[in-house]
Amino acid sequence: MLKNHRTVVAFISLFLLFQVAVGADTVAVNVGMVPDAGATQVSIKEKAPLKAYLEQKLGRPVNLIIPTNYNATVEALGNGSLDFAYLGGLTYIKAHARYNVVPLVQRSSDLQFRAYFITSSNSSIHSLADLKGKTFAFGDINSTSGHVMPYLEMRQAGVDPNTYLKYRYTGSHPATAKAVESGAVDAGALDETVYQSMIAEGKLDPNKVRIFYKSKPFVDYVWVARKEVDPATQEKFAQAFTDLKEGQDEEVLNILRGKNFVRANNEEYTVLRLVAADLKMF
Amino acid sequence: MPGLESALSLLRQFFPPDLSFSYIRAETAPLFETLEIAAGAMFLALIIGLLFSLIIGARLPGSRALYGLLTTFRSIPDLTLAILCVVLVGLGPSAGTLALTLFYSAAMGKIFADLFSSADPGAIEALHATGATRSMIAFYGLLPLRLKDLLTYGGYEFESAIRASVIVGAVGAGGIGTELVGSLNMTDYHRATTLIIMLVALIAAVDFLGFYVRRQPKLLLVLAAFGAAAAWHHWPHLMVVTQALKTFRTMVPPQLPAEAVRELPTLIGQTLLIAIGGTLMAVICALPLGVAAARNISPLFISFPVRRLLEALRAVPEIVWGLILIGIAGLGPKVGILALGLHSAGALGKLYAESLENVAAEPVMAMASTGGSTLSIAGFAVLPLAFAPMTVHTLFRFEWNMRAATIVGMIGAGAIGGALFNAQQLFFYRQMMAYVLITWAMIMITDAANVRLRKYWRVSEEL
Repeated sequence: MLKNHRTVVAFISLFLLFQVAVGADTVAVNVGMVPDAGATQVSIKEKAPLKAYLEQKLGRPVNLIIPTNYNATVEALGNGSLDFAYLGGLTYIKAHARYNVVPLVQRSSDLQFRAYFITSSNSSIHSLADLKGKTFAFGDINSTSGHVMPYLEMRQAGVDPNTYLKYRYTGSHPATAKAVESGAVDAGALDETVYQSMIAEGKLDPNKVRIFYKSKPFVDYVWVARKEVDPATQEKFAQAFTDLKEGQDEEVLNILRGKNFVRANNEEYTVLRLVAADLKMF
Repeated sequence: MPGLESALSLLRQFFPPDLSFSYIRAETAPLFETLEIAAGAMFLALIIGLLFSLIIGARLPGSRALYGLLTTFRSIPDLTLAILCVVLVGLGPSAGTLALTLFYSAAMGKIFADLFSSADPGAIEALHATGATRSMIAFYGLLPLRLKDLLTYGGYEFESAIRASVIVGAVGAGGIGTELVGSLNMTDYHRATTLIIMLVALIAAVDFLGFYVRRQPKLLLVLAAFGAAAAWHHWPHLMVVTQALKTFRTMVPPQLPAEAVRELPTLIGQTLLIAIGGTLMAVICALPLGVAAARNISPLFISFPVRRLLEALRAVPEIVWGLILIGIAGLGPKVGILALGLHSAGALGKLYAESLENVAAEPVMAMASTGGSTLSIAGFAVLPLAFAPMTVHTLFRFEWNMRAATIVGMIGAGAIGGALFNAQQLFFYRQMMAYVLITWAMIMITDAANVRLRKYWRVSEEL
């Protein structure tokens, strides 16, 4: 019996020891971003200046979280693992319909956003009509500029992806760009700002890929709050973004791939709702 | 299909791996998280599985229904469960822990129950005669009788849980799998290679640890305490649980829209194609590799490197092979076939080699004494003798690959897994549940067909 006793004591003390080792939760603001450009420890580290900026403006510690896909970001707002999040257009309308999230701010460019259609520089594709019979890459299935709007324009151009193309979802905009650059697919569609920053940072070779079509403008990304977050904190969060100024907060603005922020509202997304419903994505 | 040249140039981008100290240090946290998911889930699964199996072993009321439930649950692939759990409790290690707890509670419950049912009936009768209740028989009779086997199987399951905890990360359930998918999405191939190396090292370390724990069962106490702490840490919060129940209500009843029903035969066809094609490719590769790895046929300078190659092939799970290949081989079921083929070639190659090494010595000797060449001995004595066990291994592999084929589609290889993943991503949860049910039915049917096939060929399941 004594031996058993000792085993139990050993178990409990080891349990407590490991408890300290695996760490405790802190009371922090949880801020999430859709993985439009990757979801790793590295990409979170790269966004350290944004985290520091938000901590300073909110006066509270911030956890910056990038879930692996768009769906998980929305569900995290639903179950309370995230307080604020950066969503794409389609994910916003879904998050709003499911969990009544509050739209706060967006880049002024998000109101006039475009998707780029790219192909390899020596390919025979020069228009949407040339895509017939080719292989194609979309980004995440829930991405507005990487799936919904390109899909719509392809259909309008008479090239319904379901009938005329073989396509797949790469999961992110950079992956689409790379799949086109390497020749794994003939063409792809992606977010214009991701394309530009990949070229600027040397992550994509401008000699190997070219843009063959730019979509019509649409409304895209937005920062939202979970509806239970108190209004004062919501206001502070929105203010932090509208306070960003070119020339002064360059580092943070580069991470956000924008120039300035404006207030967002739910009505902007009326057209997107109709489009998404028509394409059976909403 | 892109040209071989561009495929090779993409493959070259995976080298050299990023072995910088700062990167490896940054990735130790997700690696540790993977270990936590596996240990936490196994700790809970061991308790739950043991409890269930004792109920079944003691034939307490409801034990038949419970056994049926365990068999059913075991037929849902781990990654499918992980997707469900990610939807229910959100991203991160909580979902992974929950998914693996469910999967391994059922797996171990069933294995342990089978072990108990083959326990020495004499000892149980004796206990019964003393007037012991059924639960007392279970606790004082069944448990001590089978403790050693429980430890052995528990060890094997833990190794398999480590692989599974990497895989569930691919759908966002935390750990190093999540990092790997993220790196590949970011086209950060050098770092993807680093992560694959880290994962192979982790699996090797766990294999090694398993060896020690089996010899020194006391070490199990440390592992159990670590598992308990990890489970405590990662168990979903109460608020998440209430939300999960709400979300679950949006998943039932399962429903498929008309277009999806029309697609269904194609999806099932693609899944079968991946399972059959993958197994076929594995057999074609594993036959020469197995012969080359068999130490009674091939000289050491061939068998040694071939064995290491087989280890490397099977250390990388199908899903991870798929993630690498999707960038190289483009899209569609061929990615799934290649992914299953490579992993299974490693697994089957090893089993074939063992079957060839385990043939009875006498007939081979007799053949050798007639002056037959090495090749003719291999062809006319060793191979025919090893044929039966090799067939059984292949059949089991097909059963395994059927499961794998339903999940490998999730990473872009189409088939039923792809449809399931897309439905989940688009929040069409009732449609997703319909695909979960179809997946489950497909696996139940192949499992049952395989059992019949083995009976028909009168090959024992004990091999």
